[in-house]
Amino acid sequence: MEPNLISKKELLDEKGISYGQLYRWKRKQLIPEDWFIRKSTFTGQETFFPRDLILARIDKIMNMKDDLSLDELADQFSPLLPEYELRKADLMKRNIVSNVVIERFASVDSDSIVYTFERLLYFFVADKLLHAGDMSMEEGERLLQTMREHFPKFEGKACDLLFARKMGVSSFALLSVPADIYYESGVKLIARLSMNECIEQLKAKLM
Amino acid sequence: MAVGAGKPDLIINGVSNAGGGEYSSVKVDGVGTVNGDVSAVTFDANGVTKVRGNLVAEEIDCDGIMKVKGDLIAGRSVVDGNIKIEGAVKGDRLSVNGILNVGKECELETLEMEGAFNIGGFLNAGQLNVRLHGKGRAQDIGVESIKVRQASKSKWNILWRWMLPRFSPELETNSIEGDEIDLEYTEANVVRGSRVFIGKGCVIGTVEYRTELKVHPGAKIGKEVKTGG
Repeated sequence: MEPNLISKKELLDEKGISYGQLYRWKRKQLIPEDWFIRKSTFTGQETFFPRDLILARIDKIMNMKDDLSLDELADQFSPLLPEYELRKADLMKRNIVSNVVIERFASVDSDSIVYTFERLLYFFVADKLLHAGDMSMEEGERLLQTMREHFPKFEGKACDLLFARKMGVSSFALLSVPADIYYESGVKLIARLSMNECIEQLKAKLM
Repeated sequence: MAVGAGKPDLIINGVSNAGGGEYSSVKVDGVGTVNGDVSAVTFDANGVTKVRGNLVAEEIDCDGIMKVKGDLIAGRSVVDGNIKIEGAVKGDRLSVNGILNVGKECELETLEMEGAFNIGGFLNAGQLNVRLHGKGRAQDIGVESIKVRQASKSKWNILWRWMLPRFSPELETNSIEGDEIDLEYTEANVVRGSRVFIGKGCVIGTVEYRTELKVHPGAKIGKEVKTGG
């Protein structure tokens, strides 16, 4: 069996959840439809899940279901951008992205400017890559420009951010998922970020 | 969800067509066709109703025959008669007394079904309660709890038999998975659950159970497997 998939039975045994819970979470859209992958095996049809995604998701649900209702959880996992706005001053105060990012990329904006969730997300992604030491400040400018220009085109559909470098020249790309991508030799993929995951993380931070 | 609050009403009496759109309440008496998507707080249909698009409503009360070309998204629905949805169904609670036909998958917190049904896709329900007068069919079923019974032999059965030739009141599906499973007159390849009761008239390929299994002597089971230690 493919190593990156987990069968439904394995999943239930490993996490100690029941069929009822699994189907309930699916109904509440805590587990996306396209994670249910049907394949035929020698014992007949079976359902598989992308292993890393589903295990992380189940852990999150189990950890959070005591504090939040299932509907609130569903909002957190939804890939749709929430109607969330934050003033620049609050953004700095709440330490959602580091001050370096704000100083560098938002210094022209006045303190009272209100950012949409989308703009917050761009800062968040830039912050992430800067912190990981993957990206330089100059590249950050281009990242924000790329995001501003192209991210809205996905209209809430899942996409990944690719950041690659060849012989010191870097480039960004946004890619709808699931998709495979292969580079010529010499290209080094520095980071691949799932935007949906970033959205989830940012939502959790803002809540 | 406050769809259509403060919006106009749509009333069809007799035989008529209407455009889709957002309404506060929709009432059809007679033969009514709605062209396009329609959303409403309450959707009350008596007679023959056709929606050529998606139907979104908080409450649906349908007596008679209803056909929906697209998806049905409804909070609480009560159907007496025959309802056919070519797309998917999503909602909180659906009670059907009669015939339910769904083209794609069906996701409901509670489904109370009396009569016959055919679901082309996956049937996912919190509570699924079925009293079969005719054939019940779904591709696969995943539930928290399911209870399937054959309706008692009554005058109604004779009427059903007359309406549905080749009628045999049993449930047919590929697999049933859930926590509490209580079946009668069911034919399935696989049944997986925690507490499983296989009643009379069942023909099941494999039963996998976690805590408890009871089998009626009149049931046929190919293989019994206890899982999870």
